[in-house]
Amino acid sequence: MLSTIDDATLNKVAVALGEQDAVTLIAHLKGVEEITDDEIANKTAIRLNSVRKILYKLYDHSLVSLRRTRDPKTGWFIFHWRLQPDQLEGFILSQKRRVLEKLNVRLDYEKNHDFYYCGSQECKRVPFEEAVELVFHCSGCGKPLVHFANEIMIERLSEKVEILRKELGE
Amino acid sequence: MPKRNDLEQKALHYVVGTGYQGVLQSDLWRELGASSREGSRVSIKLEEKGLIRREKELQEGRWTYRLYPKRLPASIETIIDCPCLLCPDNARCDPTTTISPKSCPRLTDWIINLGKEAPAAPEGPSAIAEPDMPEDDPDAESLDT
Repeated sequence: MLSTIDDATLNKVAVALGEQDAVTLIAHLKGVEEITDDEIANKTAIRLNSVRKILYKLYDHSLVSLRRTRDPKTGWFIFHWRLQPDQLEGFILSQKRRVLEKLNVRLDYEKNHDFYYCGSQECKRVPFEEAVELVFHCSGCGKPLVHFANEIMIERLSEKVEILRKELGE
Repeated sequence: MPKRNDLEQKALHYVVGTGYQGVLQSDLWRELGASSREGSRVSIKLEEKGLIRREKELQEGRWTYRLYPKRLPASIETIIDCPCLLCPDNARCDPTTTISPKSCPRLTDWIINLGKEAPAAPEGPSAIAEPDMPEDDPDAESLDT
């Protein structure tokens, strides 16, 4: 079967999912068939609660699977984790679809509204309707609101949306 | 001679690696060390399996095919820096609520910074469809007027 995912992509996803610890953890998961959270913590020197946090995050996205057994001595559950690299492509595609949906909403909003801005970094832009209500004065700093040209934003956003559409084959 | 299946796998991997630009059928066989006859059979086979797309192209006065992958390797590159990717507010983010992609300040910052990134390598089909026009080309001048 053709594998379309490489290690670099897997690492990037790990970074996006958490931090450097996630990359180390995935590197360990890649090398073994199955491993317990305790073993990962011992081998990687990542704190056990961090290991579990990352594993649950990966599990939420089906990037790892788990098998549960019971410790015969203590009666506690032991979780055996396994990497599911075949799920990575589906994960990436679903994330892209979700991001595309958000960007489309934003693009429509940017296209259909005029914005006004006071120019202060701490303050935010407001649409025309809100600016009218505020009598064209910023609610944050009180400075006068002037028209904010969002054409460049629309252009950049449209480009991104187009790239994503192409990648998703839409 | 390599087995057909091996060759198919190698060819497919190579074509997938070329991305949106695709690869000329003739270049591919040279790269894989196969004969053009064997090569063209394999490419037809891959097309029949729905794994690649072949487009006729005139190259140095001879007709050949450019091969494009139908399925590209999944890459997270396009959205890796987008705040919406794995956003902790995702469950509450909706156009009808306070947390919305319409007004999200993190998304605004990201959009503003979009153009400030280093220009990416051309990868779309348009990039290969627009050859550089020589400066002294009389046709090029007439197009401007």
